[in-house]
Amino acid sequence: MKTIKVLALILGLGVFISCEDQLNVVPEDNVASNTVFGSLATINGAAVGVYSLNQSGDLNGNPQLMGDFMADDVNFVGSFPSLQEIDQFETLATNASIDNIWFDGYQLIGAANNVIVNLPEVSVDDVTGLTEATKAQLVAECKFLRALTYFTMVNVFAQPFQFSGGSNLGVPIVTQPFAGGDITEFQLERSTVNEVHAFIEQDLLDAIAVLPEDNGVRAEAGSARALLARLYLYREQFNDAANFANQVITSGEYSLVDNYNSFYNDGETSAENIFVAVNTPSDGPQEETGSDEVYVTFYNPAPGGRGDAPFSADLLADFGFAVGDTITDDRRFDDLSQPATDAGGNATFFTLKYPDVVNNASNGPILRITEMYLIRAEANLRGGLSVGPNTPLADINLLRTRAGLPDLLSVDLDGILTERRKELCFEGHRRMDLLRNNRNLRPGGGAVSAPGANKVIFPIVDNEIVNNPNITQNPGNF
Amino acid sequence: MRSKITLMLASLMMLCVNFSFGQEKTISGNVTDQNGLPLPGVAVVIVGTTTGTQTDFDGNYTISASEGQVLRFSYLGQRTVDRTVGASDVLNVQMQEDAEALEEVVVVGYGNQEEKKIIQNVGIVKQEAIENLQVVSADQLLQGQSAGTQIVNSSGVLGAAAVIRVRGVNSINSGSQPLIVIDGVPITDTAGNTLNQGGNTGINPLSYVNPNDIESLTVLKDAGATSIYGARGANGVILITTKRGRKGEKTTVTLDVNTQFTQSTDVPDILTADEFRQFKSEVATIQNGATVTPEDLGLGAIGSGGTDWLSGVQRTGVSQNYNLGVRGGSEKTSFFFGLDYQDREGFIIGNDQQRAGARINIDTQVTDWLKAGMNLGITNNRLNRIGVENNINAPFTTAFLQSPVVPAFDDDGNFVQSGSFIPNIFARVALDTRELKTFRVIGNAFTEVTPFPGFTWRSEFGMDKLTLEEFVRNADFNSPGGAAQQIFVNEDRWLTNQTLNYANTFNDDHNLTVLVGLNYEETLRTRSNVASTGFLTDDLRNLGSGSTPTVLNGDRFPSRYYGLFSRVSYDYKGKYLVEGSVRRDGSSRFGANNRFGYFWSAAAGWIISEESFLEDVSFLDYLSLRASIGTVGNDRLGTFPSLGLFNAGPIGDYNGQSGVVPDQPENPDLKWEESETLDIGIKSTWLNGRINFNASYFKKTTSDLLLNQTLPPLTGFVSISRNIGELENTGLEFELSTINVSSENFEWRTSFNLTTIDNKVTRLNEDAATDAQGRRIIDGPIQRAIEGEPLNNFFLIRYVGVNPQTGDAEWLDVDGNITTNPGSADRVVTGSPIPDFSGGMTNTFKIFDFDLSVLMNYSYGNDVVIDGLRFADGNDAIGGIVNIRRQNLNFWRQPGDNAFLPSPTSSTFNLFNQRSTQQQLDASYLRVKNVTLGYSLPEKALERLGNIFSGVRFYATATNLFTIKADEMDGIDPEVTDDIDPLFQGESFFTAPQAQTYSFGARLTF
Repeated sequence: MKTIKVLALILGLGVFISCEDQLNVVPEDNVASNTVFGSLATINGAAVGVYSLNQSGDLNGNPQLMGDFMADDVNFVGSFPSLQEIDQFETLATNASIDNIWFDGYQLIGAANNVIVNLPEVSVDDVTGLTEATKAQLVAECKFLRALTYFTMVNVFAQPFQFSGGSNLGVPIVTQPFAGGDITEFQLERSTVNEVHAFIEQDLLDAIAVLPEDNGVRAEAGSARALLARLYLYREQFNDAANFANQVITSGEYSLVDNYNSFYNDGETSAENIFVAVNTPSDGPQEETGSDEVYVTFYNPAPGGRGDAPFSADLLADFGFAVGDTITDDRRFDDLSQPATDAGGNATFFTLKYPDVVNNASNGPILRITEMYLIRAEANLRGGLSVGPNTPLADINLLRTRAGLPDLLSVDLDGILTERRKELCFEGHRRMDLLRNNRNLRPGGGAVSAPGANKVIFPIVDNEIVNNPNITQNPGNF
Repeated sequence: MRSKITLMLASLMMLCVNFSFGQEKTISGNVTDQNGLPLPGVAVVIVGTTTGTQTDFDGNYTISASEGQVLRFSYLGQRTVDRTVGASDVLNVQMQEDAEALEEVVVVGYGNQEEKKIIQNVGIVKQEAIENLQVVSADQLLQGQSAGTQIVNSSGVLGAAAVIRVRGVNSINSGSQPLIVIDGVPITDTAGNTLNQGGNTGINPLSYVNPNDIESLTVLKDAGATSIYGARGANGVILITTKRGRKGEKTTVTLDVNTQFTQSTDVPDILTADEFRQFKSEVATIQNGATVTPEDLGLGAIGSGGTDWLSGVQRTGVSQNYNLGVRGGSEKTSFFFGLDYQDREGFIIGNDQQRAGARINIDTQVTDWLKAGMNLGITNNRLNRIGVENNINAPFTTAFLQSPVVPAFDDDGNFVQSGSFIPNIFARVALDTRELKTFRVIGNAFTEVTPFPGFTWRSEFGMDKLTLEEFVRNADFNSPGGAAQQIFVNEDRWLTNQTLNYANTFNDDHNLTVLVGLNYEETLRTRSNVASTGFLTDDLRNLGSGSTPTVLNGDRFPSRYYGLFSRVSYDYKGKYLVEGSVRRDGSSRFGANNRFGYFWSAAAGWIISEESFLEDVSFLDYLSLRASIGTVGNDRLGTFPSLGLFNAGPIGDYNGQSGVVPDQPENPDLKWEESETLDIGIKSTWLNGRINFNASYFKKTTSDLLLNQTLPPLTGFVSISRNIGELENTGLEFELSTINVSSENFEWRTSFNLTTIDNKVTRLNEDAATDAQGRRIIDGPIQRAIEGEPLNNFFLIRYVGVNPQTGDAEWLDVDGNITTNPGSADRVVTGSPIPDFSGGMTNTFKIFDFDLSVLMNYSYGNDVVIDGLRFADGNDAIGGIVNIRRQNLNFWRQPGDNAFLPSPTSSTFNLFNQRSTQQQLDASYLRVKNVTLGYSLPEKALERLGNIFSGVRFYATATNLFTIKADEMDGIDPEVTDDIDPLFQGESFFTAPQAQTYSFGARLTF
């Protein structure tokens, strides 16, 4: 019996030994940050991750939707008080919907900075298969995505270039990734709009120099040129705008596609598209915590969507739509709209540009060739230029012909903007098109929606205000 | 404890070889209890020798002894009896129950202690306090029962977790729920394992224990009690002990059957279809200056019908509960079996639950030096979940908001689409499936070896295995193409506790107990979360039938935990007591630089009533003073909070290519959160036990707060886990229990407890966000923590009301001046979700064979913010399509009106419902939580029934019978919370109210 007792005691003591080594446990579903630049696969993965962040509905979805709410393309039938505030030009810094534009914007910028700053330091000798050319291309792709994001942010959080020639405050320019160190380096002042635009311009010029002409659905030289053309147009540098738009048109990489339905939703490979945020059923715009889908949810009627953003009466009128009609002569309406009731129960029309209500995974449109024709036309007209083979009228009539409409005999700026609106509605252009042309956001709108009014732009979000002593809020009661 | 040790010593002595002396003869006899029933397992020892034996199952014993020797008979719960061996060979003994001895043992961390000699601060909820309470889950057993323990039910939805706080909030981001230990097995939190249905409270972890199986609960409060749980003790520890058999006890069977009817306590008063039409057209008429009819607004004509959504989502739930308990024991083995089946229906449509549980607890004395046993509880649960709070699938929320003019059915009785994003909730509930199935096994097996006198080595192996499957299937009507989602989670924990206990008394006066122990745990959580869309028909139910399957999550989270601990208790003559404990904990969650933490406590007590100078004070039975100081930790902050991590999966992938995105910045210096607690208390008993009064004061300082520090957004990260700041909780706890009347046929007992807690954020990190005054803050949308102020403050714009003269809604700006256009800079501290004091009171009456108990709980001085009122009040929320509360009919029409809503033509008409103190309400309440009336058949009646039953009790219970609360809370339950996170306490969107239940049942014992 004594033996048993001793044995039992020894057995028990055995448990006391060697438990401590067991405490080294490593994550199975994350990559530790110090190993990301250790292999070609994870290096490419770090760049792919930046594209993935660009899928966010808060970068490609909400800024466009909110712009539509402020402008005159949709009739707001809101479902969130925070969106209603935006629609009514009452946005406060605590608005919960604008928060994520700021967060997701700087999250993408941080992830891009991580590649742009750290990848050039990686020696090709240390990583099998890595070449200098790959390094340069991945950095260039990240620069394009960074420029795109800065542009989205400066457009919504700052008054446009026209407000004071770009000398007004833009957004802070962050160029370094955060690695857990001193946070004061990330409590930056806002740069001016001109400084932000210059930074975007430089990123895009760098990207153009490196990116291939064809890079599949990833950023290519044409993407950077197209975005640069838009930047120059917004800055009223008409010669540059027309030139870059013309370069994209004449590159032969893209062309006007006749079937409208073919280049929305799953149309990422369509010749129409220059750059889109590709969403797939298994990899939608969702974030981990829930659906981040905006386009499908808000631009579709219930039950697939929320029915918040139907056509406005004003836009219907521009399409030549009269009460009681179900079709107009414009294919951009006939092919791309559906009648339904909105969130308020009123019979109206919704766009079909984001039809994937089953999987909430319609693509986010960013740059397509139509816009280049519109930029070339507007820049030529307003700059008195004749860049490219076509007159502004010829460019506009190209688009009208595709839409099944008769040619115009002449075109002025109003005509271009109307055509631009019908072509690009619900893709996030309208607000900036009105503001930069010094037009009120609402037909017959008052002071609150006038260009330069305090709340035609967003306040700097409250989280930035309280966490960054160096930030300056936009003027107005935020 | 002492009697247990005596028993062990006695058993030990028995095994040793005895050497005999002269004139030895064989003595035999029979030992009975006070009722004359045989007592098996009584230790019979010859005093001064090591010779001994035990009585057999019939209470008989034989032993060899000499005349003049003394036989000592001892048995747990009975007074020890000494008898001198005389001429007779037969020695029969009748033992008497020792009431004190029965009560005195209390479960504490890794052991038991005599209640009288406890100098830890523990809240004890004994069986008699809970045996007649009819509750759904174990947390409700604690509600209002123990000072310092605050329990807020998140809602009346079945399976909803309660917020449990032991001595307030001691942490900010790290979990604030106490550690729950069932029979020595710390159970895993289940939060995060299930789909979020709106609200942030998850599934109640305590729904996995059958409340009928519970013998007692101990709440460990001060550091003296909790520091033995080291890095997990900071939020307090709740020890749940399940019922066990007693050796030699006659087997009793208890069958309890009851039926319960459930309805909601209080719902808001909202507009009918016609009132809604009237209101909308009246407002539009005033705004347009010309008549606008309801038809003009697309609302249909007055009298054209509508839907009463709120009535439609409610029902009277009918539930059945069956519970069977069998306990008993032989000479060597004792057992408890519990069987439990519940079929419950909530008062909200679509919400029901079936739970079946079984428990086996067995103890056996293998040899006189080895004891072994096992506790095993199995629960199988099926819950039909419903959405709650800010979720369009939440029946209660959606019924509240849905326009009353929207029809639910067409003329043929088919569901119709609501036409807006607020769905036809009847269709959602009827056609969609949200089923959660869980299977959980919590149990352990132990051996207890007594190799040498005074030493006990206890070896425990335990497990907590949770298997969970959640299945969601949305019908084509509600989600075009249909959608299915299935989540499997396995959360497995196994652990071992090895403890060595040494107890001895030296020179009769010096009592020493030493405990050393080891605790090792491994937890692995595995999850797969798969979804599928594109179903041809709703009859194709499962993932594989959809056209587009997607893996949303597939991951594993391992963690390990290793602790060494010791506790030393010493007392002199049971009068002066000291105790100290220390624990060293290691956790895989922490960075290599700070993997181990050390925690300690020291306590001292003085039982004044044992002093000779108080011997003659007849009205004082017991009086003690105690004080303790010590540290505990908190490690609840994710699995790998210190590593710099990139995330993979859909969040990083793009167009079929795999990618990674930065997810978490690195902080290798991350370490435990540590709390230091000072606790001073007094315990007393007066007038022969008629009055018990206990009071304690505590001050708990949490330093190195584990906090998800909000980073400047320019970093690209939301937050980083850091140890920053300091939090202080001070409070007073009082417990008073009295026997007001005690006569043969009438007894009235009252117990009352009250807790006050003051909470203060004493320090935040230097680089914290600052407010306009330069004070460091942690900011949230509704609450803001400010350095030097309590952690929880509602931080809102102050709403004043509608100006009777102008019809404008008015607020105060930051300087306190009236404004009609406030901004976010006008927010100030406006209230607190933390009560000034809270507690409970229980009155029990016994009149002849009737018993009545009335349990009340209360909370005073706290506010809640009902965020959903931003929708339910005013005219314009969600484009004005939602229903509103009835008080909105009172809008300003002419000067002099004391209106609820501003004038429709006022510029403030649409601003009215912006976030402000308009949604902040006084949540003080007194609630009659549980009233139970019982009738037990008298002995005579039982005899007449042929003594088949040893007890028959009929009872009726009502819960949440009524609530006294502020007028402005009309229709809103004061006991709400949307979130278990301390920073969001007291916030709700639209919490479904608490359930009011009436149950009727019978308990038969035989």
